[in-house]
Amino acid sequence: MTTQTQTQNVSVNNFEQCLKCSICTVYCPVSAVTPLYPGPKQAGPDGERYRLKNKEFFDEALKMCLNCKRCEVACPNDVHIGDIIQAARIKYSTHKPSLRDMMLANTDFVGTMASPFAPIANPILKLKPMKAVLHGVMKIDKHRTFPDYSSRKFESWFKKEAAPTQDQYSKHVSYFHGCYVNYNYPQLGKDFVKVMNAVGYGVHLLEKEKCCGVALIANGMPKQAKRQGKVNMNSMRKAIAQGHPILTTSSTCTFTMRDEYDHLLGIDNHDVRDSLSLATRFLFQLIEKGEIKLAFNEDYHKRVAYHSACHMERMGWVPYSTRMLRMIPGIDFVMLESQCCGISGTYGFKKENYERSQAIGKGLFDQIDEVNPDCVATDCETCKWQVEMSTGVPVMNPISIIAEALDVETTRKLNNLD
Amino acid sequence: MKFDIIIIGGGLSGLTAGIALAEAGKDVALVSAGQSTLHFTGGTLDLLGCDEQGNYVQKPLEAIETLNSKHPYKKLENVSSLAGVAKKLLERAGIATTGNETSNHWRITPIGGLMPTWLSMEGMSTVEEPNQMPWRKVALVNIINYLDLPTKFLAAGLREKGVEVDVKTVTLPELKELRQSPTEMRSTNIAKVIENNDLIAKLADEVNGVASEGYDMVLLPAVLGVTNGDKSQQLLKLINAPATYVATLPPSVPGVRMQTLLRKRFNALGGTFFTGDQVVEGIFDGNTLKGVKTAKLEDTVLEADNFILATGSFVSRGLVADYNHVYEPALGVDVDDLGLDRKTWAKIDVTEAQPYMEMGVKTDSELHCLCNGAAVNNLYAAGSILNGHNSIKLLDGAGVDMLTALQVVNNIMK
Repeated sequence: MTTQTQTQNVSVNNFEQCLKCSICTVYCPVSAVTPLYPGPKQAGPDGERYRLKNKEFFDEALKMCLNCKRCEVACPNDVHIGDIIQAARIKYSTHKPSLRDMMLANTDFVGTMASPFAPIANPILKLKPMKAVLHGVMKIDKHRTFPDYSSRKFESWFKKEAAPTQDQYSKHVSYFHGCYVNYNYPQLGKDFVKVMNAVGYGVHLLEKEKCCGVALIANGMPKQAKRQGKVNMNSMRKAIAQGHPILTTSSTCTFTMRDEYDHLLGIDNHDVRDSLSLATRFLFQLIEKGEIKLAFNEDYHKRVAYHSACHMERMGWVPYSTRMLRMIPGIDFVMLESQCCGISGTYGFKKENYERSQAIGKGLFDQIDEVNPDCVATDCETCKWQVEMSTGVPVMNPISIIAEALDVETTRKLNNLD
Repeated sequence: MKFDIIIIGGGLSGLTAGIALAEAGKDVALVSAGQSTLHFTGGTLDLLGCDEQGNYVQKPLEAIETLNSKHPYKKLENVSSLAGVAKKLLERAGIATTGNETSNHWRITPIGGLMPTWLSMEGMSTVEEPNQMPWRKVALVNIINYLDLPTKFLAAGLREKGVEVDVKTVTLPELKELRQSPTEMRSTNIAKVIENNDLIAKLADEVNGVASEGYDMVLLPAVLGVTNGDKSQQLLKLINAPATYVATLPPSVPGVRMQTLLRKRFNALGGTFFTGDQVVEGIFDGNTLKGVKTAKLEDTVLEADNFILATGSFVSRGLVADYNHVYEPALGVDVDDLGLDRKTWAKIDVTEAQPYMEMGVKTDSELHCLCNGAAVNNLYAAGSILNGHNSIKLLDGAGVDMLTALQVVNNIMK
């Protein structure tokens, strides 16, 4: 009885475990740059006590939270501070998403509309008058450049160029490519297919893929996020039934679908979660088990600085990617001090957040300047936009670096494919 | 995932061991479930401040000889040499300290008391003799609306020792702005505001304005320099009178700085840091630990030749008490509960020495953990998780953390 009382007395998001130690406040990137944000302790467990009594205590300033989860990583008592804040926003916020928020959040819809017009849309989005319109009317900051839309979606490329040859492999994975690979940067998807094929895995797309919903949650559209999440889970269940693990190349999509669906959106993901992984983690585990081998080009040389994206850090999976990169003999590896780059998905695109976003990332940009790498490696696509825009240093996903350094012919031989 | 050594716990003890092993060329991984209690420490490290009778100690090495045989120091081969190694390790991480193991000096507590200590970070306010205050007149200068420096206690404590104290306050427009969110007027946020040289110079001007003449010492809250000590040193140099810092209530800037610099050093040496993760299971083969599983890595087992358990005491969840037992949650190794009945774990009077503070994991003479009474031949314990000492009573917390970690490193490298 006594043991039961103790073990079952757990509050939602562990909020009663907060000792008021204030360690989380040290690591909040937002309160470090603005006094208008009440900080994770006040916005999270402290504020929650008041909100439980009366919803009037909800403070719209909580929208300044990046959902970076660095407070949770720092918390010595496993209080899910970031979750408490996100849940409060979903439950209490009366702020209605603007047209701008809907446009930024609906990555699928906007991507589908923009891709066919990419040759026109890309240059237009870069024009000063267009930026002025976006800045003035849409409140999208003029300093931002939209990531280019690809004129050919990854899915179209895949169906024509890759799909026909995938059945020749004896082992298979399904790929959740995400909006970024599909609409903006198909090259990452191509790199993924190249690496997986070289180690003997055929790649397949899910029957139906929707945006994971991270931007919808952040922009106050949880219902739509839930609808999309259910579509994703159902497609993944079908892939799992065929024996396919599901891989991604985005830390944030992975984090959202594994760790936010269940308790923030109420989507049951328990039968999918274990089969959903990041590509670098999947490859690392296979190499460890001795099931695959990689060979790299001897003349490959690159100075690579690794940036720990917030959600990668929260998942605790940074070492999978860094140890994969360190396997490449030609890489001069530098680990950057882990800190938020400030973009946080759509957050940094908003006019009202731009300055804060850049102030948050400044420490990281300074570090990168100092290290002076050939490229920065990170597992998150929005960090890529932010770091490239702010430092001019190219940013690559670890999978792209592996693909670039890979000696495909030798790798295929090592894996008994030729 | 395979490493030479895996350390469980990312506080002072774990990082000390991690740095020493990485310096010796080992492939080291460190698993840390959240940030450590270094965030509550005030920029000083204690070796032994009190003996078992409760008397203050001036010569720690001599007093260590008198400790009872259960104390973790009794498992060290050479306390004096390990203490020297610890000081140098801190220095290489960018943490310059004053003091040494042969004689304690005295730190000023945030509520105006004096406590014996071993090493103090550069710039912290200390005195050599407790009965002979070196200052006749002191200016205690706080930042307006900064609540984590209890100036009244501090002033009263110093006046009791015969020092004349004037309490002054200063501010800057930038600090007034920070005050917009009253809960966030914290030491580390102040440190992040006073980042550039201009503001440091302006703050120094303000301090010089209120403490212009006639002071032997200007005491300031330690709220500068989260990532390194340069900014805090710079401010002291710009103040006309001699100036030093007093520790504040948590989060403590010098404590966070120490944590940050140690972690940076570990990273720079190529160490792998698993942040915000927790060891949930050990995989044993007889008396050998083969690997550990963590909450976040799920099916990936972390394997190593040797393991160090440095997860701290109750406050860091290295030890857990339920209604009936005290246990070690990560690996389930043997815990010494002193054979006490549940009702006698704690004393009602909080100022008394609490029996539970001496609980901890059992180890053999080489600091191997025990599992069901038998030593695990590649699993060591270090730091506050060890049984046999009360760090609040003896003021020996940092010393036990660092020195037992270094001894374990020596035992592994043998």
